[in-house]
Amino acid sequence: MPRILGASLRRQEVRPPEDAGGLADLVVKDLDGNDVRLGSLWEDGPAVLVWLRHYG
Amino acid sequence: MQLHRDRSEFEASGARLAVIGQGTPAHAAQFRDSQKLEIPLYVDEGRDTYKEAGTKIATVGELLGPAMIAKGAKASRRDGVVQGRTVGHPAQLGGVMVVRPGNEITYVHLAGDASDNPPNDEVLRAARAASRG
Repeated sequence: MPRILGASLRRQEVRPPEDAGGLADLVVKDLDGNDVRLGSLWEDGPAVLVWLRHYG
Repeated sequence: MQLHRDRSEFEASGARLAVIGQGTPAHAAQFRDSQKLEIPLYVDEGRDTYKEAGTKIATVGELLGPAMIAKGAKASRRDGVVQGRTVGHPAQLGGVMVVRPGNEITYVHLAGDASDNPPNDEVLRAARAASRG
């Protein structure tokens, strides 16, 4: 069966981590291209992180 | 976009809103400008944070099933927008997490299919609770 849209052939389960320690040191970019350590977003207070499926 | 519409409520919740997309800063900037968004956007071209967050890659049925199409049409009518060009992995699903200092995850909702987004009210309640400690 061909893969359409890069879709998974088998149904996957979501796997949230126990804590955000693994996320904290990962780096994303802001819209100016600057590196932002993800954990910096919740160092001083809570953060709501939203991962988009697509733009729109 | 519901997040944009409710941004003042997120600001008032005391939690910092951060929206992460695939692609490059230029892709995200184009999206922000076209939608006139005033929410903090970040990009993760390698999808490392998606993987670490535990989000999943959808099956065809989870992307294009009747329920997904119906929900997409409803959202388009409600928000007056249609899905833009897909950037990055087309079957990558998203999710929402509330994280407190100390790396404590107090709320998580990872999409089970393309139409699976938590209501903003639910996320706002979680954000307010996290701010109260």
